[in-house]
Amino acid sequence: MPEGYDALVVGGGIAGMEASLTLGDAGFDVLLVEKEPSIGGHMIQLSKVFPTTDCAGCITTPKMAATGKHPKIKLLTYSEVEGIEKTGKKFRVRILKKPRYVDENACIGCGRCEQACPVLIPKEWEYGLIGRKAAYIPFEMATPKKALIDLDNCIMCGRCERACPKEAINFLQEPEEIEVEVKAVIIATGYNLFSPEKKKEYGYTGNLTVIHTSANPNIIHGMQMERLLAPSRPYHALVRPGDGKVPERVAWVLCTGSRDKSVGNPLCSRVCCMYSIKQALLYSSAVPFGEAAIYYMDIRAFGKGFEEFYNMVRELGVEFIKGKVAKIESRNGNPVIIAENTETGEIMEEEYDMVVLAIGLLSNPEAVKALGVELDQYGFVAQPQENSNPAVTDKEGIFVAGTATCPKDIPDTVAEASAAAAQCIAYLEEVGS
Amino acid sequence: MAEEAKKAKKELTVKKLREKGVKPREEVIEKSKEQRKIIKQITGCLESGPKTIPEIAAEVKMPVGIVTWYVMSMFKYGQVVPDEEVDGYYKYKLPVKKEESE
Repeated sequence: MPEGYDALVVGGGIAGMEASLTLGDAGFDVLLVEKEPSIGGHMIQLSKVFPTTDCAGCITTPKMAATGKHPKIKLLTYSEVEGIEKTGKKFRVRILKKPRYVDENACIGCGRCEQACPVLIPKEWEYGLIGRKAAYIPFEMATPKKALIDLDNCIMCGRCERACPKEAINFLQEPEEIEVEVKAVIIATGYNLFSPEKKKEYGYTGNLTVIHTSANPNIIHGMQMERLLAPSRPYHALVRPGDGKVPERVAWVLCTGSRDKSVGNPLCSRVCCMYSIKQALLYSSAVPFGEAAIYYMDIRAFGKGFEEFYNMVRELGVEFIKGKVAKIESRNGNPVIIAENTETGEIMEEEYDMVVLAIGLLSNPEAVKALGVELDQYGFVAQPQENSNPAVTDKEGIFVAGTATCPKDIPDTVAEASAAAAQCIAYLEEVGS
Repeated sequence: MAEEAKKAKKELTVKKLREKGVKPREEVIEKSKEQRKIIKQITGCLESGPKTIPEIAAEVKMPVGIVTWYVMSMFKYGQVVPDEEVDGYYKYKLPVKKEESE
């Protein structure tokens, strides 16, 4: 007989955590499945939130801890939903738990295995800005704070196993098939980031350990800039990845991969304008004599306090240039932006120390494939009753929250997650036991 | 019997995995060797005193972007520490060993 829960929440980002906590606090048993080795999602990687400039980690970390310790929430990290089938009022769900090659119950998260490992691999969590080991803890605030081994990049030297004080390393671990029964499901699978390599004219390199002749490591994307600005940043100070210089002139290129049919994404990502303005402000605080410029098509400052925030940053001296960037070239390691200023008609050529591509948010259809819900034309989860019941999907008992339905900011995501949980509770009470 | 069980438990599971025929990828082994060489070169270069990343890159004759990646990774694992900033570039040095600092 498979284990039973009231609700399955798929995705452990801010939406999934919020929905799980709301359900758990209301007394329902929740199984939270996250494909990564830790919950936290994208939000734990951010520097500060706009427009309040509150520390993102200070908001996310307590939610992660509360989710991880909640008596009504069971966490299954490094796991993926493989299939779902409705039988009567319940769903039977197949989950694949990938092997960590570390006994989660024995591991104390001391990091000795990581120190002992001799292999360096670009660290995904830092978007390749630094390396991680083949035996590693995903990040400092990871929940659960447990090590795992990347067997694909492991030289199988055994140093991690010898260094472990708890004999937690187990290279013989196998993938585990788990079957559970749930009464309802909440999808909180979030978004994918646009891959800036697709805009070849912007010269972005995806791998900082290999220098391509056509690419410049001082052209980074918005999430890399978030990491450089975050208190938990990979570097000791705000320096550029190309040579460790403190960047004195930085430009942001908005709408990289958003509102751009040439890359297949006509949608506005709704957050890039504001996160870039916020980053320009944080950069100006970190490098007081630095110059910041933002290249934009339109500034979309539509939320509460957004327009005031934009005006404040503008008054502080950040330059806003209305123009579409045609190309980014390189000169002596510096990125050079070639753009047309659409207000003056002037063709500009400006050299910067660093350029940040404000990449957009795309759908994450792969993550919901196994759930069998209807998607819209952009690959987001369809909302058949968008205006009256936004959390409802085309499948009875399956709800949706956050950026799984479209790009949106953190307050909207959290509000939607609570709404999805509330609708889920109403459904659970209706179907009973 | 208990002693034997304890001994068996202590046998490395990675060895057992190797015995099952699972081997590391050749390119990963090669990359790891190259990495150890680069880290040794950077460490050796800093033995004569603190240096900026372009100075290290010039001395070890490697692209400055790659040296930045290694120096920052070494910083994260405590193998180098930042020193003073000179003309927009930080210098990096080797950390003081515990016995030296006492």
